[in-house]
Amino acid sequence: MMVEKLGRLFSPGSVAVIGASNSFDKLGYHVMKSLVGNYRGRIFPVNPKGEKVWGLLSYASLEEIPGGVDLAVIAVPAGMVAGTLHACGRKGVSGVVLITAGFKEIEDPGGASLEEEIRDIAGKYGLPIIGPNTFGFVNLSSDVNASFTSEFSRMEKGGVALVSQSGGICHLCGFLAIEQRVAMSKLMSLGNRCNVDFPDLLTYLMDEDDSTRVIALYIEGLDEPRKLLDAARSARGRKPIIALKAGKSEKGDSASRFHTGSLAGNQAIWKGAFRQAGILEVVTAEELLDTAKAIDSCPLPQGSRVAVLSGQAGPGMIASDALEPCGLSLSRFSEKTQRRINELLPPIAIRTNPVDMGPAWYNPGNIIEILRAVLDDEGTDGVIFLAMYASANLKLAEGMVEYMEAVDPFKKPVIACFTAPPGIWDGPIGELDRKKGIAILPTPERAAKAMANLWKVRAMANGKEVRIWDR
Amino acid sequence: MGSLMLSVDAVSFLEKEGFPVLTSFLAAGEDEAAVRAGEIGFPVTLKLSSPDVVHKTEAGGIRVSLRDAAEVRQAFREMVGAFTSDNPEKRLDGVMVQQQGSGTEVIVGMLTDPQFGPVLMCGLGGIFVEAVKDVSFRLIPIEPRDAREMLEELKGYDMLKSPRSGSIDIAAVEEFLLGISTFLEHHPEVREMDLNPLFVSSRGVRICDARIKTD
Repeated sequence: MMVEKLGRLFSPGSVAVIGASNSFDKLGYHVMKSLVGNYRGRIFPVNPKGEKVWGLLSYASLEEIPGGVDLAVIAVPAGMVAGTLHACGRKGVSGVVLITAGFKEIEDPGGASLEEEIRDIAGKYGLPIIGPNTFGFVNLSSDVNASFTSEFSRMEKGGVALVSQSGGICHLCGFLAIEQRVAMSKLMSLGNRCNVDFPDLLTYLMDEDDSTRVIALYIEGLDEPRKLLDAARSARGRKPIIALKAGKSEKGDSASRFHTGSLAGNQAIWKGAFRQAGILEVVTAEELLDTAKAIDSCPLPQGSRVAVLSGQAGPGMIASDALEPCGLSLSRFSEKTQRRINELLPPIAIRTNPVDMGPAWYNPGNIIEILRAVLDDEGTDGVIFLAMYASANLKLAEGMVEYMEAVDPFKKPVIACFTAPPGIWDGPIGELDRKKGIAILPTPERAAKAMANLWKVRAMANGKEVRIWDR
Repeated sequence: MGSLMLSVDAVSFLEKEGFPVLTSFLAAGEDEAAVRAGEIGFPVTLKLSSPDVVHKTEAGGIRVSLRDAAEVRQAFREMVGAFTSDNPEKRLDGVMVQQQGSGTEVIVGMLTDPQFGPVLMCGLGGIFVEAVKDVSFRLIPIEPRDAREMLEELKGYDMLKSPRSGSIDIAAVEEFLLGISTFLEHHPEVREMDLNPLFVSSRGVRICDARIKTD
């Protein structure tokens, strides 16, 4: 029931915006801007003045809207929310995004009792509520931006769903996603989680949402973390789940007269609980996005042996150095692979792993052929592929794009880092990114980290070699 | 208000629940200690049993490798004498006389977290617990995979897997963790527990000392 309603909430045929406004300083203005920009269903602004809002005919109340409303986005003052929810219930709305703040999150205890009241009203009508105290959600798969930030519509469509306990983190990650070409399916903050919580979303994204391939969570604190962990555990091995947990304390209970109690910091328990549930824990917002992008773009590696191919020696060296601390190792090439590399590269640079492909700068075809030869080697599980721009190799990126057209998708992950001044390689980088098993990330170290996380996701799904990365 | 079960009481309780323990008795005086040591067979270990002492090693509360009745009597007198003169405010239940254990020391523990509920811990035991904090956690109940990964996660796993002296029955430790998880599932009144140390060797697992807090 809940999951079915969530489906309509996230892909509505019609949306009512309650509190829609023409005034820039009202959130209802910005919600309208987001919807008008890209939503193809019907939009019903609700505004007591009855004037046109964003050029659309508005309604003085929900009741006056002809026909059904799937989603109601509410941006009215907290004191008006209860009455508005009753109206939504009577109208038969499928789901609500409650942007309004001023509930459980405020110091005034009146906020918490108001939240109790709206939970009861929602329960009476079986209304799922995203929020309160949320910026809304963006569903790229259905072109719905039901949030107060219209710029999220610029994100590319893809397989990453970010479910967050914070709207601020969605704004951080959403804009980074635009900049770094992370392709999203959904972006949402659950706000105060009045009656839609992480476990509901996990079930929905796992079972009902074909566009989502990887689920990224941002968690601050949960009263009942076991519900989320149980939901994740029962879905283990289906879609990868990665999580960033904020607010972890390292300290155990110093008053405990037990070793166990004094050692059990919140962070250590979360670590064990995530592992137990099959959730990969990451430690920064950057790692969350990099890992999600890599999972969305690349096949998972079968093992931890990595080849580093670099257009210049130095970046290859630091990528190699970054492998071991995150549980990976440099692979050894077979004789056949080495022979092939030697055919493609003149002997004026290091041709063993990490390979310095500098001598092939002017021959993008050879560079891709080296990549293919290494990917064919049974002793290599994934490739870190690097090239820095220099004036002389200007044509390299375009050349690779052309050559890649005839190449079959790779069966192993390739994490690349192509760095150039803004504007110079943007076109070809966009062409290469997230295609045929390649994910492009900003630095060699981040490429190594993301490769390690791909392998960890694989190891957690099949329960092998887990120990190697943690020590 | 909950109650606290210590040393001999806790070890005997766990033995009744079917867990492997080192044979242990509580002795009030040195005569009793010598008799019990004879029953167990030498060498034996003596330990102070006080609800007020968490770190027995630091408190000078453990004497090992006592080879005969005379050594037991002497150790008893020295330990009790030093403890009562240094800590007049602390309670003393008696002295635990115990079969000498051997093998690698491991800690297994449990706590009740306000959010997570019952949580299981394991790690390298003895003096390592405090010094390196090499421990891992899982929510109770655990599955066989969790038991294996709890051990694999430890930094000292390789030491556990291939210690210098003799091999360790890793499978027995995994079984033990699963057994403790099941036991705790059936005993929700247990709020906090330390099994520290366990001795682990090729002969399996033996509980050496324990503290259990119940509702």
